[in-house]
Amino acid sequence: MDFNVDKTVDCKGLSCPMPILRLTKEIKALDSGQIIELLGTDPGSKKDIPGWCEKTGNELLGNEEDGSVFKFYIKKT
Amino acid sequence: MDNNEKGVLRQLWDTFFSKAWPLWVGGILLAFLNVLLFLIRSPWGGTGTYMSWGENLYQKIGLFGLHDIMPVVLHPYGLLGTLTLLGAFAGALMGRDFAVRVPPFGEIVKGFIGGALMALGATLGIGCTIGGFLSGWAALSGGAIVLAIGFLIGTYVALKYLFWEMEKFPQFSMGKSFTWLAARGAAGVWQPILGVILTLVVLIAFSMKFSADNVMAMFAAIGLVIGIILQRSRFCIVRAFREPFMTGESEAPIAVMAALAIGILGFTVIKYMGVGSSTPGGARAVAMTWVYPNFWLKALIGGTIFGLGMTVAGGCAIGTIWRAGEGHVKLWFAALGFLLISPISKKFIVRAFSDMLPDWAKQKIFLPDHLGYWGALLLFFVLLVGWYAFVKWNEKTGKFSAI
Repeated sequence: MDFNVDKTVDCKGLSCPMPILRLTKEIKALDSGQIIELLGTDPGSKKDIPGWCEKTGNELLGNEEDGSVFKFYIKKT
Repeated sequence: MDNNEKGVLRQLWDTFFSKAWPLWVGGILLAFLNVLLFLIRSPWGGTGTYMSWGENLYQKIGLFGLHDIMPVVLHPYGLLGTLTLLGAFAGALMGRDFAVRVPPFGEIVKGFIGGALMALGATLGIGCTIGGFLSGWAALSGGAIVLAIGFLIGTYVALKYLFWEMEKFPQFSMGKSFTWLAARGAAGVWQPILGVILTLVVLIAFSMKFSADNVMAMFAAIGLVIGIILQRSRFCIVRAFREPFMTGESEAPIAVMAALAIGILGFTVIKYMGVGSSTPGGARAVAMTWVYPNFWLKALIGGTIFGLGMTVAGGCAIGTIWRAGEGHVKLWFAALGFLLISPISKKFIVRAFSDMLPDWAKQKIFLPDHLGYWGALLLFFVLLVGWYAFVKWNEKTGKFSAI
């Protein structure tokens, strides 16, 4: 990934809806253009996080799976 | 087997197990199976499973003087829910979604408390999101409508709490977490293999066990299939009540509406025709199936408590079962709270609570008795269309959604 992460939000072990609630809280503290990395282990996040980005207008830069951990990179708009 | 054929079968496998199914597909399939359960014996429910698990546990350890409790696998709902758990486990394995996910300690506490509240709500209000609501609306029960209002109130309040907790005490859901047994890359192929083996072993074992009891054999098979469908579609009734107030998305409510619409049609035909009964008295018993004396305050109180619990736990009676099967330890503790508190509430609280309520607060209302079958259907049609219009409008405008 050719960008710098400004903040990492660790949601490993959390199940729905906690990753979305945590993401909503953490992104408020960022400035527009800054990037958040969310780490999660809930398979539901694979659909929920892109859905949240579409809904809120924040940009999903990409996602990847690293073993058991799903990583999402989101740019605050 | 040549390569082309292999490719086709692989495609078929991927259709079912490479990614989550659309939620509404889950809703339609589950409603179809619910109608089948009613035709075979009695409709789908979740609370009875926890009661069966809890009463068997307490009998085993000699608490509360319980005796002559039916073993879990001989209790229709003990069996149905246990097989749903196994089905969800198998579905998660086949989709490579399984892992033991241990959350921070605060989440485990919330799981247990949520489960305990669901037990209290389901026993006081008579029914959970499945038996009381999904099957209850299909059964044309007046109390079931009030139960849904209770779920809505409870969900809204609990969601407010979760936002508050996230702002004031974010560390409550932070801390050490662990993930074990996840399917990693090519080495993770053990999961689908084990999932297939488990499915076959369970099907063979229960068809042999119930070779002389078709009803229980069908309950076992349908329970297993329900578990697979729930896990693959991630069908979630908490979401249906919560999302309009959270993200505003309408997918989950619409999936539940699809399940309700099909359930209502199927159940209405069975009830109207008195299917399975040859006498007028029997036909009345069929019509009154899953209509409980909880209209309206009883259902409102129970539903509100249940709504609080399911939102804090992150899964209703059945959502807890399939997530537990997928390996979410928070939901293991929700199930534990549910099964430990259900028998206690039934033995020590329900009677006193019910006696305290006046008769008008706990009526048994079968809507066709008051509105006729057409009137009852029209009422549910209006409710479903109104709910649909609300969630779509809210999705677009975000008026009620917090995110």
